[in-house]
Amino acid sequence: MADEPVTTMEQMVSLEYKIHSTPLQRSYGRALREGRITGHKCPECSLVYSPPTGFCSLCVVPTSEQHEVEIADRGTITSFTIVDPIQYRGQEEREVYALASILLDGASGSIGQQRIGDVAPDEVRMGMRVEAAWLPEEERKGGAAQAALGGAIRHWRPNGEPDRPLEEFAEHII
Amino acid sequence: MAVQPSTYKLEFPYKRSLGPVVGTFLTGLRDRKILGICTSAGRVLVPPLEYDPETGDANPDDWREVGPSGAVEGWTWVEKPGPKQPLGHAFAWALVKLDGADTAMLHALDAGSIDRVQTGMRVRARWAAETRGHITDIECFEPFDPAES
Ligand SMILES: [Zn+2]
Repeated sequence: MADEPVTTMEQMVSLEYKIHSTPLQRSYGRALREGRITGHKCPECSLVYSPPTGFCSLCVVPTSEQHEVEIADRGTITSFTIVDPIQYRGQEEREVYALASILLDGASGSIGQQRIGDVAPDEVRMGMRVEAAWLPEEERKGGAAQAALGGAIRHWRPNGEPDRPLEEFAEHII
Repeated sequence: MAVQPSTYKLEFPYKRSLGPVVGTFLTGLRDRKILGICTSAGRVLVPPLEYDPETGDANPDDWREVGPSGAVEGWTWVEKPGPKQPLGHAFAWALVKLDGADTAMLHALDAGSIDRVQTGMRVRARWAAETRGHITDIECFEPFDPAES
């Protein structure tokens, strides 16, 4: 109020930064825009890294585009968490939702923090089979954000296949 | 296709409580007055402090209005201001000793060009169009020649 003493001060601590993508991220992003998920297959141990890292950390060998393989846009939920968003200032989420780690068919490791949709959060379970709900091609993002699956895939949804048994993905649970 | 970098923004909104001394100072700015606090020894500190830096004693609740004009005690030129800086064009950061104060206050000085800035030059506070109890209620200082006004 105009006549009341000033007792507090609002202060916005703000950090803005830009990230340039690497050639590897750009080729991964280009494929995502085309609706393909790619990885690199180690020429020595055959492990498939997706997103590609450009090397195999177990064999200590570089990988490149000649080792590129395509990964399925479906997989198995290895673990998940239910997020009940607290409505702090700046929060953009309103509803309860699930984030999951997914072991994509053809990949040797799971991808984390993937949004699950088209299913009630309390029905999400380990072993559930899901597929990508791709954004329309014109909405898929460019820039370094293209390296994130979230720039091209809206969420993952159940694809109706029977659940996979725990033994199949137990070693991928983080 | 040209690759654009991605821009990210992290923001933490804080609300700080000010305490009686800074609170009084910012209340003054909201009301377009610059207030200094007077120590037991009679020195006027602007911006005000809760304690006398000479003795460590708490300052009495004794306020003096100072300025809004004063003299530049020191300065540095900013040729290319960053996005968070108070002015969008080249300016000086200046230590301004307001008339009636015994200490200098750091603020922006909108002098137009580096050639117009000198230690000892007279300046005056330029108030923001709207004041809200923040150091930016003083938009900046500007050169001030009493003969011209
Ligand atoms: Zn390997």
